[in-house]
Amino acid sequence: MGLIVKTSARAIIPLIGIFGAYIVMHGHLTPGGGFQGGATIAGAGILFLVAFGLDEMRKHYNKNLYSALEGIGGLAFLGAAMLGMGVAFFYNTLWHNGPFFNGKPGTLLSAGFLPIMNLAVGLKVFTGLVSALTAIALYRRWKS
Amino acid sequence: MIAPEFFYAALVVAIGGLICILRAMIGPTVPDRVVGVDTLNTLVVAGMVLLGAAYDRTIYIDIAIVYAFLSYIGTLVIARYLQGGLR
Repeated sequence: MGLIVKTSARAIIPLIGIFGAYIVMHGHLTPGGGFQGGATIAGAGILFLVAFGLDEMRKHYNKNLYSALEGIGGLAFLGAAMLGMGVAFFYNTLWHNGPFFNGKPGTLLSAGFLPIMNLAVGLKVFTGLVSALTAIALYRRWKS
Repeated sequence: MIAPEFFYAALVVAIGGLICILRAMIGPTVPDRVVGVDTLNTLVVAGMVLLGAAYDRTIYIDIAIVYAFLSYIGTLVIARYLQGGLR
């Protein structure tokens, strides 16, 4: 699009990314969490696609990297769920007797495995949404 | 506890939002409707901030910030479509 939109997108995309990372990291303290933060960061990706066009997006988008990151997000969620397997599935062993993430409730490093799960879901949602929308945008020409 | 002055201000913003919905419904052309919806987005952000002050919850401001970002992206996507789409 035009020069004004491109310049303002250069300024706004880092802001949206940082705010989405804030939502993901504070998922156990404030409204939001993995899905909401991931969708917000995916909004930054959509803004990049809309403001700079399809050719620029094709240069910066790597299908294999995004696919692998989505799988890693799911595996990290499952790994955090398996941590307390000695007691039960989804047992929050990091909170009860873990070495970290067991601070005072209300602080950032509390709540056991919840920050890890929020980060995993945020990564998965961000890569999945950006991959889906880029695939739709790249689909084909209008006539078959 | 609802602070009444912020709540009345939010009510005034809601009346403005109703007028914007009217423009989005009866707008004769598509850009009229887009402008109506964009103004409605801004008014919704103002209403969210005012209601966050009325209910005395600071964390509601986060939602207003996210809504402001996403309404900008939505308007930009519609504008891009109206001017001819990608490529």
